[in-house]
Amino acid sequence: MQLLRNKMQQATSRRPVGAAAGGDREPGPGLESAVAGAEGGGDGDGEAELLPSPFTFSSRRIFLQKEDEFFEDGDIHRHLYLQNALTSVGEVERPKVSEFCCHIAGCSQLFDTLENYEHHYNTFHRNVCSSCKRSFPSSHLLDIHILEWHDSLFQILAAKQNMYVCLVESCAEKFKASSDRKKHLIKVHGYPPDFRFDKPKKPKRKANGLSSFLPHSNQRNQDKSSHDMDVETSSCQKETTDIFCGTSTELMDHVSVETMEAESPSVSGQEKSTTMQQRPFYSYRVPATICFGHGSVRGFKNPRKKK
Amino acid sequence: MIRGRGAEVRSRNRACGVEEIKARRRQQERALRKARKEKQLVSKRLPRGLQGDGEEMEIRETSVTKEEVLQLFQRIQRGSDDRLAALRSLRQMLQLKETQQMFVRFENSIHVLISLFTSNLASVQLEATRCLLELSHSDDQSISLVCLPATPYLLTYLSGQSAKFTELCLYILGNLAAENEAVRNQLLVQGVIQALAICLQSPHGAVVEAAAYSLSQMLQAKEAGEKIIPSVLEANLTPHLIRLLDLDCEFGMQTAVECAWCLHYIVSSGVNSECMISQGLIRQAVILLIALGRAVGSGTTTDGMELVLMLLGNIAEMGLEYCEKLQHQTGIFPALCITLRTADPEAVRLTLEVLNLILSRCEQACVSFANQNGILALEAIQYNSNEDIRVRANFLMDKYFANKAI
Repeated sequence: MQLLRNKMQQATSRRPVGAAAGGDREPGPGLESAVAGAEGGGDGDGEAELLPSPFTFSSRRIFLQKEDEFFEDGDIHRHLYLQNALTSVGEVERPKVSEFCCHIAGCSQLFDTLENYEHHYNTFHRNVCSSCKRSFPSSHLLDIHILEWHDSLFQILAAKQNMYVCLVESCAEKFKASSDRKKHLIKVHGYPPDFRFDKPKKPKRKANGLSSFLPHSNQRNQDKSSHDMDVETSSCQKETTDIFCGTSTELMDHVSVETMEAESPSVSGQEKSTTMQQRPFYSYRVPATICFGHGSVRGFKNPRKKK
Repeated sequence: MIRGRGAEVRSRNRACGVEEIKARRRQQERALRKARKEKQLVSKRLPRGLQGDGEEMEIRETSVTKEEVLQLFQRIQRGSDDRLAALRSLRQMLQLKETQQMFVRFENSIHVLISLFTSNLASVQLEATRCLLELSHSDDQSISLVCLPATPYLLTYLSGQSAKFTELCLYILGNLAAENEAVRNQLLVQGVIQALAICLQSPHGAVVEAAAYSLSQMLQAKEAGEKIIPSVLEANLTPHLIRLLDLDCEFGMQTAVECAWCLHYIVSSGVNSECMISQGLIRQAVILLIALGRAVGSGTTTDGMELVLMLLGNIAEMGLEYCEKLQHQTGIFPALCITLRTADPEAVRLTLEVLNLILSRCEQACVSFANQNGILALEAIQYNSNEDIRVRANFLMDKYFANKAI
């Protein structure tokens, strides 16, 4: 089966001539004499008589099914090559260490291998927004986030021109609104509608009418996911240090729905609570420009000063 | 079914004589040929080093029941501490085809797996990724289709900074891309070519090799000539591939061979690839050939030699202009003389083929070849035990060097 390439037999222009492989195709009847004719043509000047050329290769396109005998030798060869390639890789020694914790402030994930820790660090503590501490899987998504969330000029410009950049790095399209971008992602790039890294900027409001103060409030979207375009930071695992985790209990109903949305619609209802405990909470950030005074739940009980 | 893991690992560690090795290899080959006839041969890229944490990845049981797999799935869905252990067990079981089939048929199983694949808990994410890698290994087209929802995330993660994770994602992508056109189409519209271009420039050798592998899987598709190769040329990927042929760039032989495969697919597709010649393809290919010849000479078996010879042959076949460039390239004839002297009859035959292509088109080449002691090497081959080789060597000698025979 030609799952991978075939090492020696290519069903396109290059075909090894006279290969001892089973199923080698003989060149067409006209080819040999034609080639010989061309080769022998210039030798009619008294040189010894030459046999027709044994080199019969000529470039042409041949299509063969992957089960064709022609590929047998190549398949076998490749299989053995892969096995040999695999064995050397499998013998790497992994250093054993006792369980340790991530040392980044606020992150409490535990690890028992350096490899896992390295992965964790590179994925969750690298592309971090300095304003709101969210982390992103790539610098591209981080840049988009900073632009759309923390750049005051962005809102002004966005009113006049298309500023929402497509999330696919190689795509140069820009859009008027994030909903347009989302439609583009679905239609052109085949992205799922619940793509984890494209949630609209929608701070979650309790139903107390404060939404009107927010620049992007949109009543229609209130029950929709209010997640951001990020990977929740593990800082949220430490409930006490982050007010938004503290408030999550009151928002449990909403949160659990949205967790499902972002995670997968399939996660069964019975494990909602366990999922909640396990997964860091989504943060419902209040823009720094909004102040609710001292008594508000969403105020600044957070010992960490907002920037 | 021949899966080709594990057993071979252990048997290689035993000390044994050369004859024993040869006999075992012949037996292996017979078994593989039989398996292939029965359509049981599955050989995909599944780097074990990425899968294990140093543990032996043997399957203890040879069959699983639906209940066992379902139980694992439920433990995974339920979450909390048990999830990681269940994922590990699932990953081991997914080496079996039956498990793969059962797992994908549970309602929402892939969805759950993908959501864990995008989790922010490192160990869970890695384990889920390894499960996906096992699934990607399947030759069942329906399974690769089922994994389609993972592709936007796989591609997003390619821009990340966790080298190990990127490597895993690349192998998953490569394996899925090999399977069917629908997957490849989706990857194309999601920007896979550009993403691979970035990965090819990574400082991590393992990532580069994995990227070249994935690219080769895209390029070997039957629709590659129309749909994929033009984009690859346009995205300016080829200078990177060509640069990576040079073993001195510290990424090793395997990476160079993977890149050679990519270039081979492009050249043999028939798509106009003259730009690659001006990007130094010939020079780099000759350098690689010399290195491979040396490696064969010193005993490290390499499978790249025929590949590079085919590449050179295809370039020669492009016309007189290219033959002139080839024969002009320093080191090409010495390199071909080295490959002429190898024990592998296929390599020798291919070398003669390449020589014929060049010599038949370019007279200057005959002179250059003779000046660089090519005749001696050719003469030695006239006494080769293989008849095909003798016939071809004689032909070349008679035709081009009859008056120069020593």
